[in-house]
Amino acid sequence: MAGQGSVLERIDAVDEPFAKPEIESVRQLTATTVVAMETYQGGEFRVLARKEFIKRFRCSVCHTEKPMAARDGALFTHGDIRINHGRAGDALVCAECHHEKERDFLADSQGLKVDFDHSYQLCGKCHFRQKRDWIGGAHGKRETYWAGERVVQNCTGCHNPHSPAFPRKMPETYSLPLDD
Amino acid sequence: MDDKKLKSSPGQKSSRRSFLKGAAALTAAGSAGLLTGGCGGSVSAETMGLQWEEFFKKNYRLMTPEEKQATVDRLERLARIRHDLDIEVSNREPRENVLYGYAFNISRCKGYMDCVEACVRENNLDRRSKTQYIRLFEMDPGQLDPTSGEGRYFHEVPAANKFYMGVQCFHCENAPCIKACPTKATWREPDGIVVVDYDWCIGCRYCLAACPYWGRRFNWGEPEVPLDEINRRQHYLGNRMRMKGVMEKCTFCIQRSREGRLPACAEACPTGSRVFGNLLDPDSEIRFVLKNKKVFRFKEDLGTDPKFWYFMD
Amino acid sequence: MTTKPNNGMVPFLADCLRWSLSGGVGFKLYLAGLLVVMGAGGVAYLRQFQEGLITTGMSNIVSWGLYISNFTFFVGVAAAAVMLILPAYVYKDKDFHEVVIIGECVAVGALVMCLLFITVDMGGPLKIWHLIPGIGLFNWPSSILTWDVLVLNGYLALNALVPLYILHCNYHNRAPVGWKYLPFVFLSIFWAISIHMVTAFLYQGLPARPFWNNPLLGPRFLASAFAAGPAVIMMVLIVIREKTAYPVDAKIFLKLKRIIVVAAVINLVMLFSEVFKEFYTFTHHSLSAQYLFFGLEGHNSLVPWIWTAISLNVLGTLMFAFDPTKGRPGYLMIAAISLFSGIWIEKGFGLIIPGFVPSPMGEVVDYAPTLNEITITLGILATGALVVTMLIKPALRILLRYKGSMAS
Repeated sequence: MAGQGSVLERIDAVDEPFAKPEIESVRQLTATTVVAMETYQGGEFRVLARKEFIKRFRCSVCHTEKPMAARDGALFTHGDIRINHGRAGDALVCAECHHEKERDFLADSQGLKVDFDHSYQLCGKCHFRQKRDWIGGAHGKRETYWAGERVVQNCTGCHNPHSPAFPRKMPETYSLPLDD
Repeated sequence: MDDKKLKSSPGQKSSRRSFLKGAAALTAAGSAGLLTGGCGGSVSAETMGLQWEEFFKKNYRLMTPEEKQATVDRLERLARIRHDLDIEVSNREPRENVLYGYAFNISRCKGYMDCVEACVRENNLDRRSKTQYIRLFEMDPGQLDPTSGEGRYFHEVPAANKFYMGVQCFHCENAPCIKACPTKATWREPDGIVVVDYDWCIGCRYCLAACPYWGRRFNWGEPEVPLDEINRRQHYLGNRMRMKGVMEKCTFCIQRSREGRLPACAEACPTGSRVFGNLLDPDSEIRFVLKNKKVFRFKEDLGTDPKFWYFMD
Repeated sequence: MTTKPNNGMVPFLADCLRWSLSGGVGFKLYLAGLLVVMGAGGVAYLRQFQEGLITTGMSNIVSWGLYISNFTFFVGVAAAAVMLILPAYVYKDKDFHEVVIIGECVAVGALVMCLLFITVDMGGPLKIWHLIPGIGLFNWPSSILTWDVLVLNGYLALNALVPLYILHCNYHNRAPVGWKYLPFVFLSIFWAISIHMVTAFLYQGLPARPFWNNPLLGPRFLASAFAAGPAVIMMVLIVIREKTAYPVDAKIFLKLKRIIVVAAVINLVMLFSEVFKEFYTFTHHSLSAQYLFFGLEGHNSLVPWIWTAISLNVLGTLMFAFDPTKGRPGYLMIAAISLFSGIWIEKGFGLIIPGFVPSPMGEVVDYAPTLNEITITLGILATGALVVTMLIKPALRILLRYKGSMAS
């Protein structure tokens, strides 16, 4: 059939990586990024840093060994956080992701420390399929440029870790024809 | 006719009304405005000269680099004279070893339509007729053909038991629209983007009839964009102001993609459903999707060979 | 009252113009009427030119409407002249030879309308030079539209120049020289088929539109054209017979009738075949037909039109097939009008609009032409009528005079 599969043939014919010429218009992102502790098919890549977006980071400023009055609990114990993560009726609890002792870190089920900037390592423990897709590029979001060094969003850049499902809301706009 | 519909529609609310109040809307008097005089009133000799040269210029593909630069300069100058607007019209050529491709994750899209809105703003789409290059269709489970979906939804999304599927120009390798055009005013660039030379298009709309994906839009009237909303970073083959009576379409945001940036829709998507990249780069995300996901293309039986794939998690 | 013939082209054309405008009060009123409608159309077009095609009822979903519908139909009428030319020149049919010129005049009028319809449908009519090879870019042979440009203009040239030559000779009391024009006559026979096939291919070649993407479309175009075209010519002939001194033999009507019946029956058989294909096994490609014949998702603006068209079609065909009056002009006129309008609706609106509905994305909207659009259309129809009138009048006069001088 005319044309059928021709673009695929063209694609398959190329296995040399795109010699990333310096595309002069690709600029360094202003946001802070960290080198991911994973590699994708093209090698090293970067992830948008997370810590600077967390209110009241470093956690250890408040989370000290000092005792605290129970009435201050609501204010100091993240009363605004509603956990909607995990199976219905079996939501996760804080300590399943946060390190029990070292509050500036996350922790996996084995108790290994995970940096907030590299939360994908923790998320990927359960969501390993999503992580695999995220590393390759089928899940998640690349930042601004398709060319140049690869910079992607962290899991927590799009998902609220305490309630990771996307919310219901009104769409940004609507489409014509609305004729009935 | 559309206005009547708009008034009864839920979505207009403040944005449209304030737009009408802020009557400072740009009407692009293009080369076709030569005889009608465009804005009327005092038209300087310089404007007349520029319009004259614009009217008799060649098809973009036949222009030498100097001629391309000259027309771009004229367009910038005309925008300056007519609307006191500083625009930057690029004529960036395609890059070597680049073929753009797009993948759309139908299990991720929530129907928020941020992409549609970003596209409208990025590409200076006509606000009067509410032109949109992207359509999102709300689909029932059990179907994969967007023609069975509802493209006119306006309620909280994602709705229960629905999924969403976006369509736009698929930049077919074997594009029926290109074949149809009697004046070669639309063609596929070496980097795979199907573009229109707005100044060469005669407005016969045969390409629109030939497109099986409804990927093309016609300027039935003079397109209008409020002056302060105009995206001034433009490309000759992309989002520069169109004029009445010509065809336009998605260009994968040629003004962005040729600068290495993502198209506005891909950048705006809050769910990461949109994957854009270089098909000729085996390391690219788009290639990862093609290789590791089960993908399909819309109406593949027509042999149009689109460069737009759908995939699922 | 006639000037003495000499060999020049100028007096010939001057006389033609004079004769075409001279006539009784009724004729003058008729001309004035046409001019008024044309003027209204011109004003309406000026508005469309200023504001854009937004003044029409068309949209991004139904992107061709009344203009292209009429264009398609009148291409058929133009092509139908071949039904007179073929017997007149190939089979040396004496009766047809008498009226072949009328068929050619009707063809010219129809072609003028076609070109006008295309022009008013264009978004950038000032950019039409982009189509001219050399200074523009002509996407030939890829775009079927460029083929259509070629065949329509070529056919217009053939149908204008051959009669012009013959009449010019007759005007100067000479018989036309066979080798000078007969090759063009035979060329025009093939050309007539080609204008209609090419116009059908315009639609037929689009897989995006399953309603059109149908190998029967071209042949059906021909069949309906060879019914509707001769019906128009018959109407013109009846008027000529009633209103002028030009003799139109009754045998011509019988022969035309036979052509019309055969073509109309073939057309109906093909229509039936299409309807069977669409509805026996209903696929989503049948949605356009569903929309046309029964309505879709509450949209049914075409339903009354298409059933009217089919009724008129069948009525006209039956009237021609079983003619109890044995060719009385009044009866034939009604039959011709019935068949003509039936095919006009069916092949205009009934063919073009459903091709766009539902859209390739499955959306259903109705199309209704605006008043401005209708006015422009009427203006073009009036222009066509004026062209036909102004061609036929002097032609008949020259032929009559030439015959008189030959007899004496």
